[in-house]
Amino acid sequence: MITRRLYRALDARLGTTSAGRTALAKVFPDHWTFMFGEVAVYAFLALLLTGTYLTLFFEPSTAETVYDGAYQPLDGSTVSSAFASTVALSFDVRAGLLMRQAHHWAALLFVAAIVVHLLRVFFTGAFRRPRELNWVVGVTMLALALLNGFTGYSMPDDLLSGTGLRIIYSTVLSVPVVGSWIAMLAFGGEFPSDETTPRLYISHVLIVPAVFLALISLHLVMIIRQKHSQFPGPGRREHNVVGSRLWPAYAVRSLSLLTGVLAAVFALGGLVQINPVWIYGPFHPAQATSPAQPDWYVAWGDGALRLFPPIEVHVAGHLIPAPFFPAVGLGTVTFLLLYAWPWLERWRTGDKASHQILERPRDRPGRVAAGAYALTFFAVLLVAAADDIIARLSGIPVLGILRTLQILLLVLPFAVAAVAFLVARSLRAGTATTVGELTRADLHAGMTGPAASPGDTDHPAERIRLWRNPDDTWRWRWHGPGADLASNEVFLDREGALDAARTAYPGVPVEQDEPPEGVVLPPPRREPGPATKVAAALVWVAMAVLGRRADRRQPSRSEASK
Amino acid sequence: MTDVPPTPRRGRRVLAAAAGLGVLGLPLTSPSPQPSPSAASDRGTQLYQQSCASCHGQQGEGSQRGPALTGVGPADVDFQLSTGRMPLRTEHRVQEHREPVFSESDIRALVQHVASFPPGGGPPIPTVGGGHTRSGRELYLTYCSACHSAAGVGATLTNGRFAPSLFQATPTQIGEAVRVGPGLMPAFPSGVLTDAQVDDIAAYVDVLQNDRGDLDRGGWSLGRLGPFPEGAVAWVLGLGVLLLLARRLGSRAR
Repeated sequence: MITRRLYRALDARLGTTSAGRTALAKVFPDHWTFMFGEVAVYAFLALLLTGTYLTLFFEPSTAETVYDGAYQPLDGSTVSSAFASTVALSFDVRAGLLMRQAHHWAALLFVAAIVVHLLRVFFTGAFRRPRELNWVVGVTMLALALLNGFTGYSMPDDLLSGTGLRIIYSTVLSVPVVGSWIAMLAFGGEFPSDETTPRLYISHVLIVPAVFLALISLHLVMIIRQKHSQFPGPGRREHNVVGSRLWPAYAVRSLSLLTGVLAAVFALGGLVQINPVWIYGPFHPAQATSPAQPDWYVAWGDGALRLFPPIEVHVAGHLIPAPFFPAVGLGTVTFLLLYAWPWLERWRTGDKASHQILERPRDRPGRVAAGAYALTFFAVLLVAAADDIIARLSGIPVLGILRTLQILLLVLPFAVAAVAFLVARSLRAGTATTVGELTRADLHAGMTGPAASPGDTDHPAERIRLWRNPDDTWRWRWHGPGADLASNEVFLDREGALDAARTAYPGVPVEQDEPPEGVVLPPPRREPGPATKVAAALVWVAMAVLGRRADRRQPSRSEASK
Repeated sequence: MTDVPPTPRRGRRVLAAAAGLGVLGLPLTSPSPQPSPSAASDRGTQLYQQSCASCHGQQGEGSQRGPALTGVGPADVDFQLSTGRMPLRTEHRVQEHREPVFSESDIRALVQHVASFPPGGGPPIPTVGGGHTRSGRELYLTYCSACHSAAGVGATLTNGRFAPSLFQATPTQIGEAVRVGPGLMPAFPSGVLTDAQVDDIAAYVDVLQNDRGDLDRGGWSLGRLGPFPEGAVAWVLGLGVLLLLARRLGSRAR
């Protein structure tokens, strides 16, 4: 009763019912690969919840303090506040260790989910117009996730992460000319600086999460504005969305995904140990631990540093030290390529059209090959970060493993890309629906098929036919599977007709043929000549002048009645 | 200690093979005791001739196949034998901690026998125990963790060598290793690490190995190898399960 009245009062002022009805009836396509981004959002939620708990007990400072708690080998030691409070979180705060570990696992899952989501978007061409902006937002969030993961990993001031922080510091130093200034500016002085931990903290818990929330909102607003893309299928066209309504079907599914993510995060957090900083001990510049890796999402940078040969270059009297290329160089190039990909692909294919229907990966063998190359490249780098562990487990000397990985890094990506390209082309050429169903004939067709030019790749069954009418005008029509559409416009020259056809159906091959029988021709639109334009302008001016004079002559009725 | 012996001369090869067979055959390693007045020294001599002399020489003078044992000291011999590193079973992986071949009394006899080679000397077997874990932790992180890892799991060194994990090491063996410096490990004389400090380190290693239930409070330790296995678990167990869940949730959609 009271709630109903309250709701009515609210509805009368805000109009919540109609807005809510619209929102709840919103349709989302329900292919399972569209849930990866959702997993990332829910992992982010888990990060916020557990992280908030951690901030209540963590002290972001390198000021020395005496740890006094349940962990015997540290009890009474003088260590930094950051390290002491992290060990206290692990041993002395109720549920502290569960929250710490759940937070760390959620971070690993968060970045993993972002990467898988990025792969889905990449291989299905979901980044094409009109979604390039959202791609840019997404890549920015990936970069921020790496940054925040690293700052969080470095905050406890333990021996393992301190080693990583020192590597990052040296990486910044390696930038030619300005490196030392940037490092001083960012880290607040010579390493290890007392300024560093507070800065890591404020960026980790305030700045980056705030930017993240804004970007996630922007990401989702753009999806709602542009509608979600969908795979081709019966009844699915460029201007509709086929799927489930937000309420109830989609919401229930999404909620079960949320509970799944939370269950995974807390199960791992409660059962599997991660980053036991009390074992690593407090950071001290003179100490080291080995084997030492960063978390997986920055391990590719570590692997690149390990594999890169010691080459130093002098440019105009300035030294470019070896670490600059694998760390700063590779990272910059990676993200620049990611940002530029939608435009790079458009430049390659000339496809400027707006797409709501996704492609299957097989429709674009070239893109599959590029993705496979990148994935293999980074996988090799990821493994290279654990070269010492692999040497230990296999008994092969670590230098041999390094050499092997260096060769693999140069060779393996090309091999995998070639195989992926061939498989994609065979799938496109043949009738197989999955890789497992590929036959020898399919592979043969994939190998000997027509050379893939950007025009023929995406719509093999479609054609544009162009013809010249007897009166020297041009027209075109589109032939698709079981459909035939003639242009409703007639063009005065061949180029105009070609342009119009390519705008309407980008990427569809065009051929010229005879005018078809029985097509009724509307008269062509002819551009008015210059004399006509001048005359028209004069007529407009004349009408305006006459109208004003008429107004002056006739006094208005209100004046006449006075 | 070098672990890659040069190729033996032809005459010695037979001896070496015989010694190797003797070592590998378990019955040979514990021959029936023969009571005699100076049983221990006899036993030491006998065992030395059987299992050591072919490489280290009749009087410990060394050969092309093994280093000299003159003046190495009891700690070194005891360490090598009690950790199963000697006698050699294979020509590589000499740094692996294995089950010792000889019984404790046999090891004592051998140590005595080798100590009788002139000129004698060398570090004695230390008595280790009763240290403090807190200073042990600090000393361990300063002197040991760079090679043996902060978690005690060991790490890779150059040329296919590695620093072993410390999970099987007894306090005495830790003391011996600190004083002797086996393999690539530097020796720390008492001027660098006092006996009390060695006691502390051993106490902390005991925390690393025995209190594993207490130390790995977070659950499954993943071998304490750090972020690499953690990442693998996140991808396979974490994200793998979530992708399967998404697959199930989306199974009704075509």
